[in-house]
Amino acid sequence: MNDIFIDVDYDQIYKHDQEIGGDVFLLSKNPDSNQIVATLSDGLGSGVKANVLASLTAHMAHKLSFSDMDLTHSARIIMNTLPVCKERKISYATFTIVDIRYPSMKDISVSLVEYDNPPVLRFSGSQEISWNRDLIDLKRPGAFKQEILKRSEFSMKNGDRLVMFSDGVTQSGMGSTMPLGWRLDGVRQFAKACIERDPDISSHELSRAIVQHAYSLDGLCSKDDITCSVVYVRSPRRTLVVTGPPFTKDNDAALGEKIRSFNGRKIVAGGTTALIVSRLFGSPIHVDMVHWSKDVPPFSSMDGIDLVTEGMLTLSKVVKVLEEKTPEAMLPDDAVRRFVHILLDSDQVHFIVGTKINEAHQDPNIPAEIGIRRTMIARLRKVLEEHYLKETSLEYM
Amino acid sequence: MDKKEKVVVRICVGTACFVQGGADLLLYNDFLDPNVLAGCEIEGASCLQSCKKTCDATKAEDKPPFISINGKVYGGVTQERFCKLLAEAVNA
Repeated sequence: MNDIFIDVDYDQIYKHDQEIGGDVFLLSKNPDSNQIVATLSDGLGSGVKANVLASLTAHMAHKLSFSDMDLTHSARIIMNTLPVCKERKISYATFTIVDIRYPSMKDISVSLVEYDNPPVLRFSGSQEISWNRDLIDLKRPGAFKQEILKRSEFSMKNGDRLVMFSDGVTQSGMGSTMPLGWRLDGVRQFAKACIERDPDISSHELSRAIVQHAYSLDGLCSKDDITCSVVYVRSPRRTLVVTGPPFTKDNDAALGEKIRSFNGRKIVAGGTTALIVSRLFGSPIHVDMVHWSKDVPPFSSMDGIDLVTEGMLTLSKVVKVLEEKTPEAMLPDDAVRRFVHILLDSDQVHFIVGTKINEAHQDPNIPAEIGIRRTMIARLRKVLEEHYLKETSLEYM
Repeated sequence: MDKKEKVVVRICVGTACFVQGGADLLLYNDFLDPNVLAGCEIEGASCLQSCKKTCDATKAEDKPPFISINGKVYGGVTQERFCKLLAEAVNA
């Protein structure tokens, strides 16, 4: 696993009363070519029409970034393809494309294309960096205005951040709390203050903080879609998930050693597994009798382990919550929420799966959801990698 | 009056027990006689390791959910049986 992690996340609030947004953020990671592409597009207007424009733009920009095509040409194709608005007789959507390539983690290069979105902010720690952008005039036939792409290339290192947002952020509060809205300078100072307060603030938290602040400036009634995304290069936060007893008892000690030497947070999922770890560590298990429900057995605490839970029921619920993308804030405070919180707050998750079969789970009276541990972990890894872009690894014992 | 030692009760919250009635026992605050409750110290156990020994069992008492009272394990514990066992232990 890598010692550097590229943390990308975003947060978004739609315009008040809208079920669908005109801001679209897309993110994909291609581990084979060591490439991450993040695209933010803002379509003309709001609601469905804007969403169609922005989705089209973001998806095209995204696909074209993964191809070898020249970016200027890609931008022309995008603009020629966009449908024309019936009222305004123009076709228009803004976009920002961040194309990150990292042949090795010491060499992270970014190619940035900005078109009519508020400028991207760049920080090294809490220090803002300014850089030169090349201006490219598209000179597209039939264009209703001058179309200027801003293009730049630079490299990023540990501790660097990119913050990009839609005009819903910079224009928040316009006319009500501030005559011209929050403006770029306001966002810049706010982001800087956030980073100074918490130098390790995650992309998730920083983007959320900015969006929430814009929302409050709008008087909790957003005047436009508010979207913010953050790219943060940093050392990875690691989590170890241990579930299931090793196939033979001889391996118990080796398991203990692996847990002890792991540098990061640790979760033990499974009653028997918890007993083994408790014996090896000589620390008692204390079961919390308050936070549980019919589907989720109580969690426990143990010195040296961040979270101890029951096994298959909790794991299957965790997988379900992640697959359905249920927001953490919607979950009751139980083992599943705590489990999900730790997973989502990590960059790399390592699983140690014991392969001993639990005879007690072979009883036909037991619900079918208590499937096979390995299948469950495979699903968990898949959803973590594909939906949440986490790095995962697995070993059997 | 001598203060009587509390009866230590552990309810298994392992998977097999939890899905086969153990969850109902965790609601002990709702159905257990308060006088009995006062004489017990109830805690959870991540696994009492009894489910594995008795997976071929036919009698209900040898099947999950399991609890332990002062170290002795009882199986097939329903809410009624839970009340009965605890009352016996407290009044013993």
